[in-house]
Amino acid sequence: MEWLAPQTAAIAAAAAVPALVLMYFLKLKRREVLISSTLLWKRAVQDLQVNAPFQRLRRNVLLLIQLLILAAVLFALARPVLQLAAKGGRRHVLLIDRSGSMGTADAGGRTRLEEAVRQAHVRIDSLRGPSLLSLSESGDQAMVLAFDRHAKVMCNFTSDKGRLRAALEAITPTDGSSRLAEAITVARAFAQSAGEEENNRSAAEAAQLELFSDGRIADLPEISIQPGELQFHCIGKASDNVAVVALQARRSYEKAEEVHVFAGLANYGDAEAVCEVQMAVDGTVRAVRDVRIPPRRPETPTAPARPGKIAVSFVMSHAGAGVVSVRQNRKDALPADDEARTVLPPPKKLRALLVTAGNAALESALAACPLARLDRMTPAEFDAASGEGGGAGYDVTVLDRHAPAKLPRGQYVVFGPPPPDVGVKTLGTLKGQFVVDWRNRHPVLQFVSLENLYTAGAVRVELPRDAAVLAEFGVCPAIGLVRRRGSAFLLVGFDVMESNWPFHPGFVMFCYNATTFLGMETGRERQGDLAVGEAITVRAGGAKEARITRPNGQIETVSADPSGTFRYPRTDRTGVYRVDVPGRRPEAYAVNLLDENESFVEPSREILLASTKVEAKAGGPQRANQELWPYLALAALALVCVEWLVYNSKVRL
Amino acid sequence: MSPPTGTTSPRHRLTDLLDGQFMARLDGLDLFSRKMLQGKLQGERRSKKRGAGVEFADHRRYVVGDDLRHIDWNIFGRLDQLFLKIFLVDQDLSVHILLDVSASAATGEPPKARAIKRLGAALAYVGMVNNNRVTLSTFADGIVGQLANMRGRAYLPRMAEFLLTAECEGPSGFDKACRQLTAGRIGTGLVIVVSDFFFKEGYESGLRRLASRNYDLYAIHMLSPQELEPELSGDLKLIDVEDLDDAEITVSGALLEYYRRNLAAYCNEVQGFCRRRGATYALTNSREPVEALMLNYLRRRGLLR
Repeated sequence: MEWLAPQTAAIAAAAAVPALVLMYFLKLKRREVLISSTLLWKRAVQDLQVNAPFQRLRRNVLLLIQLLILAAVLFALARPVLQLAAKGGRRHVLLIDRSGSMGTADAGGRTRLEEAVRQAHVRIDSLRGPSLLSLSESGDQAMVLAFDRHAKVMCNFTSDKGRLRAALEAITPTDGSSRLAEAITVARAFAQSAGEEENNRSAAEAAQLELFSDGRIADLPEISIQPGELQFHCIGKASDNVAVVALQARRSYEKAEEVHVFAGLANYGDAEAVCEVQMAVDGTVRAVRDVRIPPRRPETPTAPARPGKIAVSFVMSHAGAGVVSVRQNRKDALPADDEARTVLPPPKKLRALLVTAGNAALESALAACPLARLDRMTPAEFDAASGEGGGAGYDVTVLDRHAPAKLPRGQYVVFGPPPPDVGVKTLGTLKGQFVVDWRNRHPVLQFVSLENLYTAGAVRVELPRDAAVLAEFGVCPAIGLVRRRGSAFLLVGFDVMESNWPFHPGFVMFCYNATTFLGMETGRERQGDLAVGEAITVRAGGAKEARITRPNGQIETVSADPSGTFRYPRTDRTGVYRVDVPGRRPEAYAVNLLDENESFVEPSREILLASTKVEAKAGGPQRANQELWPYLALAALALVCVEWLVYNSKVRL
Repeated sequence: MSPPTGTTSPRHRLTDLLDGQFMARLDGLDLFSRKMLQGKLQGERRSKKRGAGVEFADHRRYVVGDDLRHIDWNIFGRLDQLFLKIFLVDQDLSVHILLDVSASAATGEPPKARAIKRLGAALAYVGMVNNNRVTLSTFADGIVGQLANMRGRAYLPRMAEFLLTAECEGPSGFDKACRQLTAGRIGTGLVIVVSDFFFKEGYESGLRRLASRNYDLYAIHMLSPQELEPELSGDLKLIDVEDLDDAEITVSGALLEYYRRNLAAYCNEVQGFCRRRGATYALTNSREPVEALMLNYLRRRGLLR
């Protein structure tokens, strides 16, 4: 059995029980009179009671009080509400933004996420409950959905306020960026279903979306909503923040032990920020610099507001691997973006093999990469060598328009048709394709722009579900990363000689990134720097379990999936995650916020979606459906006490 | 019963109940039984004195066979018709006086017990000074005290002592008292019951016992002024003094009206019951002087002459 209003009952009992006991003791005692016999008096009382209905109805204080009591109880049963906001049985989706910017501590010491949860509690209290006396009529229902980069359903549609409140309390903050599209898609999908309580609600009945956020959501222009579908509750006030928005550590091409660290800082406040920037390797501070960051540029009619930015660089000598971190020490509202980390791989020159029938562009691009060794083979030589096991011994093998059926285990960059038996379907060829989208944050495409990349011919492929699509044509993937049976394949689905890519400076960078990424074995391997929410993927290499140490020291165990990979998606906090695979040395993964949108903590009072502008509701959610029955019940209780007093006083009937 | 010997000054004196002037007036009265009078009008002589003396009672026409010694020659000389004199027969008159000394008799202002005892003393006095056999019984839950077969003035002090020391306590058991009273051979005569007749068990079976024999039954219903006209107000808890039963009331005009109606109906009920059984009913209250009751009311009703 559950109690929906235990506090009300407890308060009423605390007031009523002592009062009743007190009145019992204060009850006026009747004067006792000794008489000869009660025989005739009892008869008289009976006669009086029998004939009472026929007496003329006189003004009776007790009757009036009892009528008032009855009226109060009847009204209470009807459960009247104030400000009836919606007609019976509406559905509400509470979208709670738990991204990095919601970790900002505003005035009062409460974070924005805590404030959002508080306002959501108020909203839940306003939900109309089901009618006591009607079995068919149901009350309002709500769903709690927390989102950052991804959406998580905390509680499906229910009218159980206790469960909704528990779901709100279960929301944990993350340091991730905020994406609303997935949350709205999930919300709409759940709104089509029956929810946790069976009712005959029409699937066409739209749910009211209520967004609790500071408005710093990256994908708003991609979202389309119906007018009135979304209500926005803006959370937060603070705007002052200094963030590390970019970080990279690279070894010099010439001197492998020389490390260049580049950091970008942004000031989102209205005043110049003076702060101390420190650079550390594996926790040891190596350099400190005082910087002045200009204030943000205010919004103008033609340009949005821009933060004040500064770039800071450090040079240090570090021969081994490590985790390089850059931190700004100025206290501000959002600590999650005050530090960024990057994994510095050990200096290593790779051995690469180019299998080509002749490709000057590719040859020269690879030759420009700082490789320890670059060998060339023709396809026939390669096939012969790989049959004899000779293809091994190279960190990376680049296959140019050659896709043999059998390939030894290794790391491959494939230009042109993909090798068979790697899980990639070839669906035909394409003509005249432009690359329309690419993942510029992926290590392979870092500092590589594929804009205006055109190819006269390409292979139409369908990648397996576990593949990573790094670039896309309009109709199919252009560049993808596939892992199979311990090998990694970076597939470029076109012949570079049929494209204008070799004329792009990014082509050399791509070759360098690709060979470095595949050759350094950091699994998504040498993808040591991740965004919050991006999964850590490590080759299992035969191991069954791996231990993951989170930034807060908590250790979790991950089992290998059927594809021979350890996958850990819970990178919801910034920091360094260490992966221990038995038989291998531990590997570090740096998870950073590095999101200008999240670091821009000034709340936005309106959000611009694809087709609509939604302004924040002033004052936050009010208690819309304030039930009055507790007050009526208390009034009935008070009247009962008054009636008791009147009855016991000397009132003539 | 032998008269008491020796004279010790009684702690309680008869004058505590009856004053001298009242007793002087009572000396000229006697108790009469209507049933006895009716039964003896066939010619027998009646007398109050034992075995001697005649007292003229009435005339009747001579019938062949009557005793010629009783012919009233004065009437013959005047009317030239033969008439016989009828005399009172010398016969013992048993007088049983049953007084209520239950707890309810102690209530009232003035207390009903005082009036009941005074009335009982007066009736016993009249009976005893006229040489009737008087049995004085007090009852609460059954007969709780009895002075039997008192005759003559010699028993007056004892009678006074008996009445004055009788405590009014306990519940009423009227039927039980009547059963006990009629169990012995008490002959014929008068039975006088003085009580408030507030018996929760009912008065009917008790009175029925008394009325079923050849008793000349007198039921004197003694109430207090407070019972006749209650002076109550407010919210009260009435407690029955005999069984401690309680009734919570809120006194109102309507309630008092219903009480008076119920009281009148009750008294009428008792009266009707008595009348149907040939008994005499008298309603009085404790404030009314016993003298007026004895010398006026009871004389009119034929109990006293």
